[in-house]
Amino acid sequence: MKSILLSGAVIALLVFSGCSKEPIVDESASQPQTVTQTAPVETETISSDNVSVDTEKGMSGSEDSNEMKMVKLEKELSTIYFDFDKFVIRADMQDKVSSDAKLANAEASNFNIKLEGNCDEWGSDEYNFALGLKRANTTKNALVAEGVAANRISMVSYGETNPTCNEKTRDCWSKNRRVDFKLLP
Amino acid sequence: MRVFFTLLLLISVSFAGDATIEVIKKVESLPSIALEDASVSYDSTFKSTFFKTLAADLNVLSLFNVDRHYHETNFDGNVVVANKDMNYVLRYKLTEDDNNALNVEIKLISNEKNVLLKKYKINNKRIYVFVAHSIAYDINEFMGSPSVEWMKKRVIFSRITQARRSEIIIADYTLAYQHVILKGGLNLFPKWANKNQSAFYYSSLGGKKPLLKYLDTRTGKSKVILSSDGMMICSDVSYDEKLLLLTMAPKGQPDVYLYNVDTKQYKRATTYGGIDVSGQFIDKNTIAFISDRLGYPNIFSKKIGTSSVEQMVYYGKSNSACSAHGEYVVYKSRESSNAFSENTFNLHLISTKTDFIRRLTATGVNEFPRFSKDGDAILFIKNYKAQSSLGIIRLSHNKNYLFPLKVGKIQSIDW
Repeated sequence: MKSILLSGAVIALLVFSGCSKEPIVDESASQPQTVTQTAPVETETISSDNVSVDTEKGMSGSEDSNEMKMVKLEKELSTIYFDFDKFVIRADMQDKVSSDAKLANAEASNFNIKLEGNCDEWGSDEYNFALGLKRANTTKNALVAEGVAANRISMVSYGETNPTCNEKTRDCWSKNRRVDFKLLP
Repeated sequence: MRVFFTLLLLISVSFAGDATIEVIKKVESLPSIALEDASVSYDSTFKSTFFKTLAADLNVLSLFNVDRHYHETNFDGNVVVANKDMNYVLRYKLTEDDNNALNVEIKLISNEKNVLLKKYKINNKRIYVFVAHSIAYDINEFMGSPSVEWMKKRVIFSRITQARRSEIIIADYTLAYQHVILKGGLNLFPKWANKNQSAFYYSSLGGKKPLLKYLDTRTGKSKVILSSDGMMICSDVSYDEKLLLLTMAPKGQPDVYLYNVDTKQYKRATTYGGIDVSGQFIDKNTIAFISDRLGYPNIFSKKIGTSSVEQMVYYGKSNSACSAHGEYVVYKSRESSNAFSENTFNLHLISTKTDFIRRLTATGVNEFPRFSKDGDAILFIKNYKAQSSLGIIRLSHNKNYLFPLKVGKIQSIDW
């Protein structure tokens, strides 16, 4: 009887020691911290009541017109498209690069330029992002060769994460292999 | 005849344990196991969900033929009649205590004897999947099989929700549990910063320049580590967590950089004028990386601080992602090169010590392979017919398991 009691106690000890020693379940997962990312500073829409106040500060008038000008110019800048798995500028895109360079040095000369490299959906790995970057860099070099100051140009690659077209067709994929122009103040 | 058998024996001995050798047919049959639910709390929906999760975990262990029939019984009663012929019976009891914590008691029965007894407790029922994974882990340990530590680990991945919008999610390896930890903007390539998975690095593409950020999941605070023009990705974290392999392009040229967490200094590790990305530590002094120096993406290795580079893979004309573990390298290879139709990408496994290549997947776009820390399993992303899934390959058992994502597309993963 004594031995049964003893072995029972040993088993109980083993069972409970297993529980207490080993963090069997990651408790931190039970209260995961939700991270709310700080929202980027948004341009506030100013109501008509406030317009005069802001105008007095000499702020909104020029900023708004600048922003409108940027939006207008961005629409005039041509997107450069690329061949599958390539980052050289195609012959049919040369004229577009030249007209973009001309615009960058004329009406858009007060703005900086952000080149956004993009790829089709074939791959989410770093190589695809590097391909997008190479496309942006080739475009940058072409712009610089046409007289745009290199220090006005920054680049980012979005890889396959910024498609303009989501259908699974060759036309759609070709639209996603591109470099977009964005203007920065 | 004797010579033939000796030769056969020699061949089998020399290839034993080589993961690049595919096991086509196992001679021995697997032992059977049945589950018996002896729960005293919770509704039938939750009990059914727990049963399915536990059965799926036991199946992934690849050690048993898992019986799919659900049986209810008393925890201390006899084995259910239908399970009399089973080699093993796993009986479990779910109990909700006064603090709403989930308590699980298990016993593994074999030949009418209790061969394993364990108790588990979690404060939040929502993370019940981790209890199921822990039970499977303990049964695997009991059976004396190589560790499946990865089962208890948390997977971190980024999910594309729309153009230039993503979420970073912490999940279990089956995606049954998912917790969105970072929302809004475009945040990609999450990489665990330490072994206990309390913090991670990620790329933030919302601002003027790409940023590398570090987020502590316990405090919820993030900080900027570095920024670079073009691209900024943390590709790997060293075993001691002190060194990072980054892909940066400060002058528009994507290269692999080595970053010291303590000194906050970085140095360029690759210098080729084309594309060098995705650095992976093979050991403290050697890295594998992807480069297009032959005119197409392929896998190379080099000793840090030296200029000589060695080609690691000689099969495939477009190998754009890899993961290394000891002598083994798993890599993604394009099987078709077509600008006008669907392409197939498969994962292959090679050993740096032999010439064998083992193809690990068959259809769709299989990418982003990541070895588990112990090299037992490979986690990967599969995209097939507009469905994005998380895949697990059990190398030693020659089995693949897929866990589909209901919404969005998985961009990158780590575990």
